[in-house]
Amino acid sequence: MKHLKRNWPLHLMLVPSLIFLIVFSLVPMGGIVMAFQNYKPFLGFTKSAWVGLDNFRALFERQDSIEVIWNTLIISGLKIIFNLLAPFTFALLLNEVRKAFFKRFVQTLVYLPHFLSWVILGGILLDVLSTDGGFVNQILTSLFGIKPIFFLGDNNWFRFTVIVSDVWKEFGFGTIVFLAALANVNPSLYEAAEIDGASRWKQTLHITIPSMLPIAVVVGTLALGNILNAGFDQIFNLYNPLVYQKGDIIDTFVYRTAILNGEMGLGTAIGLFKSVISMVLILVSYRLAYKLANYRIF
Amino acid sequence: MKAYTKKLTALAFSMVMVSALFTGCSDDKGATEAAKTASTNTGNVYKEKYDPPVTISTVWGVDPELKFKNGENIENNVATKWAKDTLGIDIKSLWSVTDTNNAFATKLRLSMASGQQMPDVVTVGDAQLAQDLIDSGMFQDAGALFDKYASDTWKKAMAQDPNVWNTYMRDGKRMGIPVLDYAYNHDYILWIRQDWLDKLGLAAPKTIDELEKVMEAFKNNNPDGLKPEDVIPLSIGFKTTMNTWMGDPSWIFGAYGTIPQQWNKGADGKLEYGSINPAMKQGLVKLNEWYNKGFIPKEAALWDENKTSEPAVAGKAGILPGPYWMSGWPLSDTVKNVKSAVWKPIALPTGPDGKAGRHGTQFTNGVTLISTQMEHPEAFFTYQNYMFKNLADSQPGGVFDNGLFKGYDYDMDASGKALRYEDIPGGYVNSIRYLLVRDGARIPDAQMKALLNLADGKEATTRLEKEVKLNYGLDTPAAAKVLMSQEGIAYPNLYTGPTTTTMKSKMDYLNKIENQSLNEIIYGKQPADSFDKFVESWKSSGGDQITKEVNDWYSQLNTK
Repeated sequence: MKHLKRNWPLHLMLVPSLIFLIVFSLVPMGGIVMAFQNYKPFLGFTKSAWVGLDNFRALFERQDSIEVIWNTLIISGLKIIFNLLAPFTFALLLNEVRKAFFKRFVQTLVYLPHFLSWVILGGILLDVLSTDGGFVNQILTSLFGIKPIFFLGDNNWFRFTVIVSDVWKEFGFGTIVFLAALANVNPSLYEAAEIDGASRWKQTLHITIPSMLPIAVVVGTLALGNILNAGFDQIFNLYNPLVYQKGDIIDTFVYRTAILNGEMGLGTAIGLFKSVISMVLILVSYRLAYKLANYRIF
Repeated sequence: MKAYTKKLTALAFSMVMVSALFTGCSDDKGATEAAKTASTNTGNVYKEKYDPPVTISTVWGVDPELKFKNGENIENNVATKWAKDTLGIDIKSLWSVTDTNNAFATKLRLSMASGQQMPDVVTVGDAQLAQDLIDSGMFQDAGALFDKYASDTWKKAMAQDPNVWNTYMRDGKRMGIPVLDYAYNHDYILWIRQDWLDKLGLAAPKTIDELEKVMEAFKNNNPDGLKPEDVIPLSIGFKTTMNTWMGDPSWIFGAYGTIPQQWNKGADGKLEYGSINPAMKQGLVKLNEWYNKGFIPKEAALWDENKTSEPAVAGKAGILPGPYWMSGWPLSDTVKNVKSAVWKPIALPTGPDGKAGRHGTQFTNGVTLISTQMEHPEAFFTYQNYMFKNLADSQPGGVFDNGLFKGYDYDMDASGKALRYEDIPGGYVNSIRYLLVRDGARIPDAQMKALLNLADGKEATTRLEKEVKLNYGLDTPAAAKVLMSQEGIAYPNLYTGPTTTTMKSKMDYLNKIENQSLNEIIYGKQPADSFDKFVESWKSSGGDQITKEVNDWYSQLNTK
């Protein structure tokens, strides 16, 4: 109570985000009832028919639902790993660059793709990765003599293409987070190491990387909560019937059922299913983060 | 089960009534007379002009492309003024929204769900929204009103395809008035590079075999000197569907006797899903062959409609399948890239048994719903009857002879000659879109008739003839003629009912395995015989159940 009296301006500043949370996150949670209804927008929650677990049954009765869930987990799992490793490494390398101008320049350059939408990138990738005179395949053919690879239409390559293009798009953003962490490392640690005669590599290994680990764990933990979101915009703009087997994910599946076919109930059921799993994953990763990096998010 | 039978009977009965009415009415006057007698029951009187004015409230989803001039907007413009002055009808807008990203549907759903005042009349294009609105119970039996008040012109237009009502039937009642559109808009013909044919000394292909020879020559002996790997003899794509509005391969299957991804009438008179017809296999084998020979784009599975037009416009494609209006867009841009390019329309080639087939177009584009709360429903019919008489069926010397509103969608030069759209002072605006019902009023076969008249060398006399002559691509009349030379081969999707129970839970999965199997066969990843396996699993995974539901619906329509 004494705290509150002294810190009331801080609490006041919390109010807007609390209201935001209530209005946009807590109240709409009532909509979860749709998952148990044959929801019709004009009948509303009160008049739509209750169907129990039918929507969930429909989800798991589909012959491909396991395949779709696996696709989601694999694509998104690999994305999480590489979206952690790539910016981590890149930030380390960039940190060693002496010229501030060059560092900033590169930092901005790799950050740029983050602002492009997948609709645009989808069109660009279609041309760049084309087997018919696409830029990438031309290089592969002329330099290595490889037969053109059908990156977007071959089940063996589609996930690879999706993950590489996603990492390319997003690693600049992650780099900034890690660079910020690097800026926070206490310089006296490096001074002490230098006096002890540690080489640049030893310093990286024993000072830089350990100081970055907590933030890496946090980023990884937060990402785990999203493991069932494998990136709708990206997949939707890149996939096609040839790669359904390896590329169809929960979100594209929800899009087709809930939005295209207007099956709100089924859509909500899948959303709820996703949320529950994500919730479990967040709790698990929170425990892990606490154990491994002694980091508490809340 | 009992209620179900009851519905069935009611539906059947109403169909009899409809057909009786279509044949029963003789002329406009008769309809009005009938309306007058009928109206004494409801207390409302159908009039040509209302004094004092009556109000029709509505809501608008404004096409972002729609322009306004003279400081007008959708709620207050030349069309609303006209309605008040000429018909004594006050068009009151409850709200309007620029219709991007489905904003109109969203706003309508929200405002209805939150119990706001609903419009007397609303026209919606989104099929799902229409079904939901009808299910809300806020709209009345529009069919009954239509029978009572609609003019003969309108009724005749509606009777051109009795199937137009099917989508909006509920318990035998016609809950919405279909918005008629011009027919054949998405029916296919082939557009071919005539200059290539001429240089090669080839005739236009009439059969699939001849088509192959032409594609072979286009590719390996290209008249423009393009390298074989740069030529796409036949530009098609099927990223999401094999049955769409431009650049799809449905007509190839048509040559063997089926149209994929829609419901066709089978040999036994029942509806069958086109993609599981055995004829599909032959078409797939052909497409696989063409894929291997490089006749179709290597990445056809990744291409959507617009992408198929890119190589055509770039001058690299020899043939592009699509509707008759394509000489205007996109093909007119080709000459910017290749000066010598000449596109000509040709009829669809026939298969080994002399068959040809294309997907047909529905005659409707949305539906108009009438609220149960509407005070003067007859006023809506006054408005639309006027439009059907003077706009849809405009005759030389009529009120809308040159267009709808002078200085908006048409204008004249000093000598009284109509100006092309780009020459209208202050710019052309599509004021037909200001009208209560999208596109005002259209008689399905009118545009095609007008085009055929022009193709036969007739002078443009009616409004429609003048309009298509002025503003469509130069080859459009010729293309329309080509299209109509094969009138009997159009197969519209015969299932236009609401989504059935099993469709809701299974259709997406079935579409998915279908797209996957068909694509894999075309790409040679699976042998052609895997088609039989696909048909098996399609049937067992819910397809048989859906076929049954679809046929239940279909048989109800036909028990007259």
